[in-house]
Amino acid sequence: MRPLDEKETTQVFEKLFKFTGPNLKHLLERPAVEGPDAEPGRYCLRLNRNRVYYASEALVRRATAVSRPRLAGVGTPIGKFTHHGAFHLTVHALDLLAAHARRRVWLKPDTERSFLFGNSVPKSSLARITENTKVGDGVVVMSMADVPLGFGIAARSAQDCRKADTNAVVVLHQADAGEYLRKEEELM
Amino acid sequence: MAEGPAATTIAASSYEVDLGNLMAYDPSHHIAAASREELRQECLRKGTELAQALADALFALPPNEDRDGPIVHLSLPTVRLPREKHLPKPKPPTKWELFAKVKGITKRKKNKREWDEQTQSWKRTYGYDRVNDDKDIPIIEAKSTDEPGVDPFAQRRDEKKKRVEKQEKNRLENLKKAAKIGALPRLLSFTSKCCFPPPLYYECLFVSGRNLAELQLSNIFCMQSIQLAAKALPIIGTKADLPKKSRKEDLESVVGMASSATASGGKFDEKLPDEKPPKHPGKHRKFLPVAEGKGMGSLEKQQNDKILNSLLARNSDEPLDVGKASSRIQPLT
Repeated sequence: MRPLDEKETTQVFEKLFKFTGPNLKHLLERPAVEGPDAEPGRYCLRLNRNRVYYASEALVRRATAVSRPRLAGVGTPIGKFTHHGAFHLTVHALDLLAAHARRRVWLKPDTERSFLFGNSVPKSSLARITENTKVGDGVVVMSMADVPLGFGIAARSAQDCRKADTNAVVVLHQADAGEYLRKEEELM
Repeated sequence: MAEGPAATTIAASSYEVDLGNLMAYDPSHHIAAASREELRQECLRKGTELAQALADALFALPPNEDRDGPIVHLSLPTVRLPREKHLPKPKPPTKWELFAKVKGITKRKKNKREWDEQTQSWKRTYGYDRVNDDKDIPIIEAKSTDEPGVDPFAQRRDEKKKRVEKQEKNRLENLKKAAKIGALPRLLSFTSKCCFPPPLYYECLFVSGRNLAELQLSNIFCMQSIQLAAKALPIIGTKADLPKKSRKEDLESVVGMASSATASGGKFDEKLPDEKPPKHPGKHRKFLPVAEGKGMGSLEKQQNDKILNSLLARNSDEPLDVGKASSRIQPLT
């Protein structure tokens, strides 16, 4: 387990920034809500093997007591570095992103299943979309009951969505809650 | 040939045979040949005749009988061969020579023996049993400027040593300058066998603690021939394939590698008096500490803030939400 170096931190922040925007500051500097300590610390990012974890300072301090080969993870995993050094957000980050993301997309109830199976979101499944979504923005996909289903990248801006074809892709799939079942072995 | 044997014997006597060089030369030879094949035949024929003339001259000499056979002493060569190598380049004047020229100092002849006042005898100017030797001074009077614990004899020895070292350094500098412009003679014993990287690196590996200047000292004689050999083009390949001159940084990195190439990474080796610690010891990448104090150290906070701020600054060009603004535009009444 070690903190990220500059290059790695930049990559992680940039990926998170796509979803949160200026909220990223709040994400990183909010006081921790977990832990028995009287004074809550902040949250920090730690790297274990290839995975990046988002954990409170108290937890990190306690995790230093676990030996390196035995440490499986610390806190919430948010993503991992691939073999050649690129950073990808994984589905474990869903809770965090859902709480802090700026742009959301709501899906019609019948079409949720398609997204949970790993497909991108076509315009026909779109029920609602945050107004000022731009192309390339990170977007959290929710069901009509405000349950976060996954996240992706917006392929069209909010205005363009109105004019688009019914089958046009609106949100490019990145991760969804169905992965917990489909990719059980790969996730951990 | 067409002229017959008579013509050839006449021609044979007009060949110039130089027994010292074992050479036979026909001054009146003209090549009259049409095709390549004819030319070849002509050359072979003429060569045979000349070789025959040479052999005749050789066997005409009076032999001395030896147990290995008849031995003949060749006369001195008559033909002077042209120079094989270029004329030596003039050496650049040394530092002292330049200084002497400026000051107008001329060389004066020193006698081999001089009268030594100290021992009241005739002594050599230099070498064993010399004039003004430090050994012959029995007493050095203390001056008022001397400190109590200082040994004046040791001082004299140190000063002399420094002078000698300085002179040696100057001598090497002069040699280097001369070598740079190619004025130093090549050392034949080194040229054919020595190729550039191995000697230098092997010296480094076995000499790893020693002063690099000393290393260069021992290699100065190789250096001239190495430079010449290195500049010569290889048999196949281009100039790009030539081994480049190794720089100070290369030598230092090799020394560092060599010094840590032991079973325990060079940690417990005795260091020589002048040896400097290695420049890149072990760790080549630094990480921030995992947990400092309560969790996040100040360095980590700084790093994160820096990256965050630069990210926010780069993407701060969305102050105006055009959609919202346009929906708020009220039509002029």
